[in-house]
Amino acid sequence: MIKKIQLRLPSFTIVIYLLFTLSLIFKSIKPILAINMESPLFKIQYAEIGIAGGNKSSTNYHLSDTVGQTAAGQFNSTGYIVKAGFQYLHSIIPFRFSISNTNINFGTLIPNSPQTATTTLTVSFGAAGQYQVTAIEEGRLRTLDETNEIADTNCDGGANTCNESLAKLWTSNTAYGFGYNMSGQDIPSDFINENYFRPFPNRKENETPAIVMSSSNVGKNRQAVMTFKVNISPIQPAGKYQTIINFVATPSF
Amino acid sequence: MQNDNLKFKIRKILILFLILPLLFFFKTKKIFSQQISLSISPPLIETVIKPGKSILIAYTIINYADPAILTAKVLPFEPKNNFGQIKIKEEFEGPIRFSLDNSNLQLGQSFFLKTNDREQLLLRIRVPEGAKEGDYYYTLLVESQPQTSQTEKTASFAKATIGANILITVTDSGKIEIKPKIVLFEVLPRFRFSFLGRKINFFDSTDPVPLILIVENRGKNLIKPQGQIVLKGNFGEKAKFEIVPQNILSQSQRLIQASPSAEIDCFPSSKLKACQSPVSLIISGFFVGFYRLSTAIIFGENSPQVSAATSFFAFPIKIFFGLILALIIILFLLKRLKEE
Repeated sequence: MIKKIQLRLPSFTIVIYLLFTLSLIFKSIKPILAINMESPLFKIQYAEIGIAGGNKSSTNYHLSDTVGQTAAGQFNSTGYIVKAGFQYLHSIIPFRFSISNTNINFGTLIPNSPQTATTTLTVSFGAAGQYQVTAIEEGRLRTLDETNEIADTNCDGGANTCNESLAKLWTSNTAYGFGYNMSGQDIPSDFINENYFRPFPNRKENETPAIVMSSSNVGKNRQAVMTFKVNISPIQPAGKYQTIINFVATPSF
Repeated sequence: MQNDNLKFKIRKILILFLILPLLFFFKTKKIFSQQISLSISPPLIETVIKPGKSILIAYTIINYADPAILTAKVLPFEPKNNFGQIKIKEEFEGPIRFSLDNSNLQLGQSFFLKTNDREQLLLRIRVPEGAKEGDYYYTLLVESQPQTSQTEKTASFAKATIGANILITVTDSGKIEIKPKIVLFEVLPRFRFSFLGRKINFFDSTDPVPLILIVENRGKNLIKPQGQIVLKGNFGEKAKFEIVPQNILSQSQRLIQASPSAEIDCFPSSKLKACQSPVSLIISGFFVGFYRLSTAIIFGENSPQVSAATSFFAFPIKIFFGLILALIIILFLLKRLKEE
């Protein structure tokens, strides 16, 4: 009797095993759905084009959404065709950019004691559309008489030497300079956490603005927090150091 | 008795004097930091125009935050990479002439915008006679003036600039040069290996399938792709994805997007290939077997069609190894049971 049970047991186990396998496969199979013309990312809608300034027509210009025969006719008669907005979006969507705090105050700087301040960048672009936000400093943090300046950060140095396009760790209190960290949505992937910093590109050194936010798919109110950090050495001359950071937000084409 | 009354009155007056200033604390308003919030519309203008003609575009600028002093200017741009990002040039160049038709405003002249106020900028775009045929790309920029003298401390001041792109095709005949080429149509697989001289793209059945489609525009005018990406499975399954008609500027490449695309939660240290760089399309589902992806793209009426295809193989490797592990454990337990 015991032997019979022992013989049956493996076949019973195999049956259970097969049933388990099949149930797993059926549970995880998802159907491939037919195409929708809408998604959270884009709405395919070729024909609807709005007009600059909210008017449907004007004596000054015509608008068209095709470059086919009609447009060719228009071009021959008027000498131009104008299209406004993105063809694949529902309508003309205003592009909006906000900075929560334009006066980033570090207070009184104390040597070897890093100071931080934050500002929030927000981009709104309806339901879809590519955009970018770039940042560049108009010069280093320097005194008004331009005799002294705070250098841009290199982060912790060594293996953790950052540059304008690569964030690295900046945790040492004896690593001096001025830089920024990004957190939130649509930020560059090298800002791994709040300890990763980059220096700003410097317009006076003909450097290219750094992209600090960008996305191919934008919802309303995409937000990122920029944390500015400054740390000075004990030999940094006393004074009021200031600079301007220029943020440029542009939609794509 | 009178003395007591007097003392009581003095006390009352003193208490009132102490309480009154406290009331001011409750009455005070919160002080917010200086904010800036600007919008521009329309965000993009495309025009095909003959030399010697001019057009007028009405832009609306709205200030949603604190009162601001703004300045408008136009600068040329070029594509920065194939992700649709741009690089604005520092100096103006090109034959196109820009001016404002506003009676009280010129380009480069500052104007004041109160909170929730708006300004209409009437931008005149003029193509001079004899301007060379081709494409010219510009950005209308509206920038705020930073208020730098607000503090006696060390500080940095943010200056906000918002832009709207202007794509101008200058042509005398109205003919547009269309010279497209698909330079990349490929999936980003979990593994890729060669078998009998063929490259096999391999995915686990539950993996999202990221696809990259890059089109190059070798012509002198911008083009707009129209078409589909089609997925066909070995059991006859079929799914179609519409290509988003985004502009590809002349002499540049662009990563083309398709819809509907699946979304993946990407965190900064994510090792998913779809998270490491932008992709055209992410297809999600449970895939088993061999799949073929193809695309056919046109660029308007009577334009040449370009096409490309790729394939991938999917197998439920995670489930398979899970089951093998489960089987080993069961057999081990049975063996132990037998021994007992």
